[in-house]
Amino acid sequence: MFAAASPKQPAALYAKGLVDKPIEFATNTLALIVPKRNPAHITSVNEMTRPGVKLVICEATVPCGDYARSVFKNLGITAEAMKNVVSQTADVTQVVAEISTGQGDAGFVYVTDAEAANGKVTAITLPPEAKAGTKNTIAVVKSGKNQTAAHAFVAQVLSPQGQATLRAAGFGPS
Amino acid sequence: MSTAAPSGAPIDGNDARAWLPALGRLAVAVGATVVIVVVMAFLMLPIVALFTYQPIHDLIDGLGAKVATDAIIVSLKTNVIAFMLMIGFGTPFAYILGRSRFRGRSVVITLVELPLVMPPAVAGLALLVAFGRFGLLGHTFSMLGIDLAFTQAAVVIAILYVASPFYLRGAIASFEAVDQTLLDVAVTLGAGPVRRMLSVALPLAGAGLAAAAAVAFARGIGEFGATILFAGSFQGSTQTLPLAVYSLFDANLDQAIAIGVLLIIVSFAILLTSKLLVRSWTSSTSTSPSPGERSISAQH
Repeated sequence: MFAAASPKQPAALYAKGLVDKPIEFATNTLALIVPKRNPAHITSVNEMTRPGVKLVICEATVPCGDYARSVFKNLGITAEAMKNVVSQTADVTQVVAEISTGQGDAGFVYVTDAEAANGKVTAITLPPEAKAGTKNTIAVVKSGKNQTAAHAFVAQVLSPQGQATLRAAGFGPS
Repeated sequence: MSTAAPSGAPIDGNDARAWLPALGRLAVAVGATVVIVVVMAFLMLPIVALFTYQPIHDLIDGLGAKVATDAIIVSLKTNVIAFMLMIGFGTPFAYILGRSRFRGRSVVITLVELPLVMPPAVAGLALLVAFGRFGLLGHTFSMLGIDLAFTQAAVVIAILYVASPFYLRGAIASFEAVDQTLLDVAVTLGAGPVRRMLSVALPLAGAGLAAAAAVAFARGIGEFGATILFAGSFQGSTQTLPLAVYSLFDANLDQAIAIGVLLIIVSFAILLTSKLLVRSWTSSTSTSPSPGERSISAQH
């Protein structure tokens, strides 16, 4: 079973015949986060491009980094934003860590990660033109040894109970 | 090992008595060989796998990629700076601790070795809460206009913190092993404390210092945990070779392995240098330690 924060990776695996057809199981939204103390006094996405702001995003190869880059593109701030990037992490939780410790001034994570950070970071909602919505997809791996359990897990995720758990964590309906 | 062969087993007949010890020795030899082969295979197989994972030209291509060359430059720059700081501050420190006796000396030596046994990730956290922007000295630093977050200076600090105890420990032992009578002779010849250190103790302890420095340098080149936690990872700025391996692990395994091979070659070269230096040092007659001195050269 493979769950991803983006439709891209499961689709690539599906095209290679390695997984069953991916199913969208939840949606999420990218948000700008700042440390609770907010040392750079950032209250909107426009202030993030000020020179000297330390910005943390995921690497381009992982969904959260891919989404951050498309948000920059949609807002037309790619050059300014990328100039401020001081750290690129291998996963989204590391962005949260670097912002909650105050090493970075601002970062891009999913709202669910911002909520899970126990109040150590403040999330700033992105404007609609940023097109910050993201899709989570799930697929059963064909070479998996326990196909029954994998299918049962996917069914569980898609069931009302599974969906309620995801809503509680901040995920949106697919 | 041969002493482990069973002797005088209670078996009747002259023939048996004649071949039993030989059989025992053979069994021991076979057993010893199997142990050596199994342990060496376990240790070497992963390295062989790394070296043979891809054709040699792919390996060279991987090392020629921008992400690899950037990491080589970052690693070289930060490690050379950390190395110079380590030698510059660490050598006088080790000399003082190695040659003088004062209350609490053993406590200081134990504390110096503490970062050696500290997990690197913990060292990174410790540096973060000490020198980070919200750390113990964060406020002082920000008033002074110093911001270490995601800078090469942070990488240097992480390397220095994790690697320098390896140098300090070896250097203290090397200075301890210097023959006191030679230093006493220097006093009678009118040499002051600084001259005694530079002209007498330093040359005598030199090979030991170099061997310790080599080990510390290798540790610094391989530093990962403290660096990623304290300095972050950004290509061309804070991404050292080990961080590049981690970053490329999911994006481009071939390149990650190419960098891994390079790191193994560099580490092996440093290990070899350190071994040769220790050998030349221990075989040298001029540095035999005075009786009662604790020394690392006592292994011969």
